[in-house]
Amino acid sequence: MDNGILSTLTGCCILMAVVSLIVSEVWMNSLKKHYPEGAKIKKPASVLIFQIAAAFFAIPLLIEIVIKLISLVTSDQEKFISTIKLLGQGFGFSFGIFFFTIIFSLPLGLIVAAGKMSKIKTISAFFTVYVSVLRGTPLMLQLLLVYFGPYYLFGVTTGNIEIGPFNYRFIASIIGFSLNYAAYFAEIFRGGIQSMSKGQYEAAQVLGFSKMQTYFKIILPQVVKRVLPSVGNEVITLVKDTSLAQVLAVTEMFTQASALASAQVSVMPFIVAGLFYYLMNVIIETLLGLLEKKMNYYS
Amino acid sequence: MNILEMHDIRKSFNDLAVLKGINLTVSQGEVVAVIGPSGGGKSTLLRCATTLERIDSGKIVIGGDVLCDSDNGKIHYCDKKMLAEIRSKFGLVFQNFNLFPHFSVRRNVTEALIHVHNKTKAEADKICDGLLAKMDLTAKADEYPCNLSGGQQQRVSIARALATNPEIIFFDEPTSALDPELTKGVLKVIRDLAAEKMTMVIVTHEMSFARDVADRIVFMDGGVIVEEGPAYELVTNPKEERTKKFLAGY
Repeated sequence: MDNGILSTLTGCCILMAVVSLIVSEVWMNSLKKHYPEGAKIKKPASVLIFQIAAAFFAIPLLIEIVIKLISLVTSDQEKFISTIKLLGQGFGFSFGIFFFTIIFSLPLGLIVAAGKMSKIKTISAFFTVYVSVLRGTPLMLQLLLVYFGPYYLFGVTTGNIEIGPFNYRFIASIIGFSLNYAAYFAEIFRGGIQSMSKGQYEAAQVLGFSKMQTYFKIILPQVVKRVLPSVGNEVITLVKDTSLAQVLAVTEMFTQASALASAQVSVMPFIVAGLFYYLMNVIIETLLGLLEKKMNYYS
Repeated sequence: MNILEMHDIRKSFNDLAVLKGINLTVSQGEVVAVIGPSGGGKSTLLRCATTLERIDSGKIVIGGDVLCDSDNGKIHYCDKKMLAEIRSKFGLVFQNFNLFPHFSVRRNVTEALIHVHNKTKAEADKICDGLLAKMDLTAKADEYPCNLSGGQQQRVSIARALATNPEIIFFDEPTSALDPELTKGVLKVIRDLAAEKMTMVIVTHEMSFARDVADRIVFMDGGVIVEEGPAYELVTNPKEERTKKFLAGY
């Protein structure tokens, strides 16, 4: 059996698997009408057959993937391992950008949100423009501006700036990401803060809480719960956005993957890089899920 | 001794005059019910007395401390320190409770005691236990508000208002968000407080409750006090046409 036929077969199987899955799902949904809300629906045998069929058709696909992966590893194991190692190093930088951006952009976002809601017109106007510009222009452009800006605008050479083990490329990307993500976080926080009922502020006020106490004890904890899903969304986007740091030639994972891919004339490094990103996001998703569950003690 | 004095209170929202010169005095141990149609200014009056709204002119004295005064039509509010002092002298119970949903019942009651009134946790807990027992909520101390019925939530909010040992408690339609059955429990608590000679101002639509529990009823409409007098007399034998018309609806 040559490769072409195998692919055609696999393609048919995937199609059949998807069709079976859709049929079984639609079937189950149509049954819902006949049951009272929240009741457990007894699965009829016919639906079960379609689900089994879906699983059955998916098997060839899985087998092909496993075969491809094994052949990749066995044909040139050393190459595979060195790819993983190099991408792992790149991942270190990606994670560094991610980590520091989160550390800086979350508090900064809170400040920007507070600024935008300020009663003082000049302050609120400034932060409104800030959010508008940072959300309205490409992040890549902002990164370039942070990196080249100091030289072209002020004639400051940045090549020899170093903080600990980090060069200016790395620092500039963290500054750029933090400024940009702060704008997005600010809007999320603002939405959360403004969704709080006036009654919470009033109750705190008549009980004698100071403005600071009201904010940090009463309002903020409730806002955190409300904004968590949206913040999670941004955090996951950030993991993937770290790949933009390649415009500053930071040797983060995607830069590494590109270099390896052209050196090896293979897409394998990209696939492995994709797996790295995905794995990290699965972990983040799990953590966010746990956090949300933990905050579910009140509604 | 007068716990609350309000002289010639005027308040407008933009061009809409909501309070047009209200005079209200409440002496110690007195229970005053404020009744009247919606939009008559009852709630605004209460919100002005509890510092949630600023008045345009007039004078408010709570527990002997001047909250605000006006001369030549210019209003002066007291400084921050006095404001904090005044806020510790009254409690406010909201129509929709406004409990802190992320705090347990116990923390709702004790938080202000610990962080505003500098009580130790043990002292605060002791006060809380006493109040919860009084509200028949001892078993609910560690629950969160979302797991309580509306009546229980309102009783928690009464406990919260009482915790700081205020000289006067304001109720803003405390039973309007509750069904008749839950209303009973809340009214019983307020009745018990009246029996203990707690000074209270209650905005309410519960006419029979106002008649039985209040010493005095104030009928407000159109931003003025139309009629006021001893509770039983005002309800059974109102003098003003407007009052008669309003009470006929009950």
